[in-house]
Parts: sequence; C-alpha cells; structure tokens
Amino acid sequence: MTDELDEVAEEELPTGPVSATTRVLVLAAAAVAILLLGAAVGLLINLPGSGASAGNPGPGSIEVGFAQDMGVHHQQAVTMANWARDHTQSPEIRQLAFDIQSTQLDQQGRMRGWLMLWGQPEQSPTGRYMAWMAGPSDGMAGMPGMNGNQMPANGVDHMPGYATNAEISKLQSMTGPDMDTYFLQLMLRHHLGGAPMAQFAADHSNVPAVRVLAENILKSQGAEVDLIKQMLTARNAQPLPMN
Amino acid sequence: MAGGKKKGGAKSAVAAARGAVPGKGKPWGTIIAVLVVLVLAVGVFGYAFMQISEKNAAQAALAQWQPSDTNKDPSTKIAGVVVKDYKSGQHVQPTQRVAYDQSPPFGGPHDGFWADCDGIVYPNAVRSENMVHALEHGSVWIAYNPDKVKGADLDKLKLKVQGKQFMMLSPYPGLDKAVSLQSWGHQLKVDSAGDDRIDEFISALRTNQYEYPEVGASCDALGPGQFDPNNPPPFDPSKPGPDAVPMTGTGASAATNEQQPGGGTPPSTGTSATTSPSNPK
Repeated sequence: MTDELDEVAEEELPTGPVSATTRVLVLAAAAVAILLLGAAVGLLINLPGSGASAGNPGPGSIEVGFAQDMGVHHQQAVTMANWARDHTQSPEIRQLAFDIQSTQLDQQGRMRGWLMLWGQPEQSPTGRYMAWMAGPSDGMAGMPGMNGNQMPANGVDHMPGYATNAEISKLQSMTGPDMDTYFLQLMLRHHLGGAPMAQFAADHSNVPAVRVLAENILKSQGAEVDLIKQMLTARNAQPLPMN
Repeated sequence: MAGGKKKGGAKSAVAAARGAVPGKGKPWGTIIAVLVVLVLAVGVFGYAFMQISEKNAAQAALAQWQPSDTNKDPSTKIAGVVVKDYKSGQHVQPTQRVAYDQSPPFGGPHDGFWADCDGIVYPNAVRSENMVHALEHGSVWIAYNPDKVKGADLDKLKLKVQGKQFMMLSPYPGLDKAVSLQSWGHQLKVDSAGDDRIDEFISALRTNQYEYPEVGASCDALGPGQFDPNNPPPFDPSKPGPDAVPMTGTGASAATNEQQPGGGTPPSTGTSATTSPSNPK
C-alpha cells in the first residue's frame, strides 16, 4: 500500500495515471474498510447461538439465563409449597401446594437437565440475575431499552417476587389459617414476579423446548394466579405489593 | 508493477478525473480522506476486538472454576483445598453424636434430618451432624470464627449466602481460621472473608454433580420436630464422648429412605457393622 502511494507521489505527470491509481487505491481502501467494519459488526452482534460450543446455548444466552434464573425462582416456590403442604390444616391449601410443588419441581428438573447438557452451572456464576434480559448485544449492552426494557447489562441482585429470608422464616413460624393466608400472598407475588422472565424467554428464545416451557409456565401460573386471588378474597386478605 | 500497467489502461477515466482534480500531482485530499476512513475502520474493528477479547477472558476466568466433563473437580486447582473421600448415607439419631475427624466436619455419618440449606444465614452455631447432611445434598457451608469475623467482613459472607440456593452460613466457635468452607469431601480454610478463593470454591463445588453423593436432593427444611430452621439444634462444643458414632459409621444406620430419616429403628448399642455395604454412593 505504501509502495503504491510512493509510486503515485513519484509520478510527476499531472494527468491520467495518478487519477487512475488513486481510483484503484480508493476502491481498495474502501473494500478494506468495509471488511473491517463488517468484521467488527460480526464480533459485536450476538447472533443467535453465538458464544456456544457445538450448537449449544452459551453463557449469557437467553436460554442459559432463563434456565438458571427461572430454576432458582422455581426452587423457592417449591420450598414454600413443600412447607405449606406439610404444615397446613386446610385440604384446599394442601391441594394447591401439592400442585405447585410437583409442577414446578418437574419444570425445574427440565431446566437443570438442559443446563447439564449444555455444560452450564445451575446458578449464574455472577451471582446476579436477569442479565440475559438486557438485550441481544454484549458489545453494546450499555444501551438500555434495546428490547423495550430497562434491564441493566449486568442484571439485578433480586428477582421480582422472590421472597426474602425473613419472609420465608416468617412463613415457617406461622400456623393455621394465618400461615395459609401468608402462603397465598407470597405465592401470588412469586407467580406474578416470575412472569416477565417467562414472557421474555417465550418471546425471544430460538430453542423450541425453552419457548414451550416458558409459554407453559405463563399459562399454568396465569390460571393459578386467578385461583389464588379468589382464595385470598375468601380469606378477606389483600395481595402483597410487588417487591 | 501495477502502476505501470494501469497507465495504459484507463484513458477515459483519466480524462474524467483530470477535470475533477485540476493539475495536481499529489491528490492530498483523497489520500487524507482514504487514510481517515481506514484509521476509523481499524479503530472500530480494534474496539470490537478488544470488547470480545475482554468478554472471552472474563468468561474463561469464570469457566476455569466451573465443573465440566473434562474438569470434574476444579477445586483441586485452588490452593489449600483439602479433599477426602467419605462414605455417604450413614445416619445417626438426633440424640447421637458423631466423632468427626475434622473441624468443621465435611463428610461422614450424620443426622437423618438435613439442615436447611436454602441460602440460609444461621445467627447461631448449628449442630454439625445436621450440617454435614446438607453437604451430602450438594450445598456449600461457610463457617466462620465469630471472634474473628464481624461487621463488614461478616456482611461480605452474608452476601454470598442470603437467598442463594444450596448455601449456608453459620458461626463455628473455636474455628482455627477466620473462615472455613465445606462441601461434601472438600474443605478450604482462609484467613479473610475477602479471599478470592471463597468464590472459586463455591463455583467449583456447589451442586457439582460429580462431587456430591445425592444429586437432586432438597435443601428444604422439614420443620419443627425434624429440622426447624427457626430453632435449629445447637452446636455442641464439647468433645464427643466414648458413645459417639465413629467415622467408620459403626452404630449408625443406613439411609434407606430419606422420607423416614434414621431408618426407623434406633441402633442397639453394642452391635457393630449395622451399615449396609450396599449404601448408595
């Protein structure tokens, strides 16, 4: 390239050859620039399935993030339902708790199975949640709202609907109808809080099994939300605000 | 030379260009424009390349401590980790003690009721026989010396445990180091709550399917009368007596059914080898 530029400089003729060479050089430079920009875009755009080995979703992908975070979220629902099932006096609560516990444990098993096949840990190694909902591009992940939401690129430290240790401890210290009501309140908030994660995976995942499970979660928990609201009304209790 | 060839070639282009660039030998404007575009392109590419390299490096750093088929126990590369092989599935009664070979223990016979390990922070020291059972279920137990770890240091540890599944934190009176991490068959003692190896240990061993005996087991507490997380059986600082169950498991019972911990029948004193050789590993 420099050789050619030098050669151009040496040509003292004010005519043709300089312009022709210049034209070739400009075209060549344009081609190189386009290739470089194309390569840069290729690197920055997180194409579906990129960052993956052997075609499996990789770290940071929607699929891995969903399976890890929804797995943790489900786990707590199982914990609460297990407790309610073992400690309630109400057949109605026991039935609901059994349904939630067995359904979510099965769903969690599916997600853990995927993670095992994909060679990914069961919990996000960063200790933060929902970063996979920030947007499709890691390189430009500083820009919020790429998918119409405001999820920070490095996620959050608390998932919506996820109960605190103190709340779980409170549930475990209660008895009778008080415990039943508090269980319903915690579970309603839990279901509602997990829905945006399921919705995001249902809308954006390219893996059919992930999409199907996410849609299933939305459907079955949507019906349960209505039921729990009725049960709360029957107990003259209000839903908890979202946390 | 390329230049020579082109001279003959493009007469009409020459004519057209001559009009645009009036009588100048060196089209500096064009050269500068080309160089600027190239520098910009190189800059953008360089930025993208750096971003990806950084991301890949960060992922590689994390992946180093994640178990995989080719790296089943990444903790062996963490300085100071002690690995021991323990027989699993040996249960003792709530009234029995185990003469553990390590302090804190990280394997061996244990109570039929596991400690709650759903990301729980125990304010007081908990009976070791229950904690060891939770290790068998895949959890990591962070024990700390309450005389050495307080305030901001303790908060650092709490952050790693609170609400994080398959994690427990508890004080351990008389601990010989500030912090000790346990998973089934693994231990790491460190002098500070800020030690990087703490996160590496957790990443390498929490629910590591290759390294704990009961994959899929629960961390959930069973409740009062069994294991009540709001009122757990306390740690016993005294030395185990001669009636304590030894590490061989003599006097313990095989775990036949996790739903009925203890196997139902209390071991009769004096009989030996009540453990079945067909214990599930």
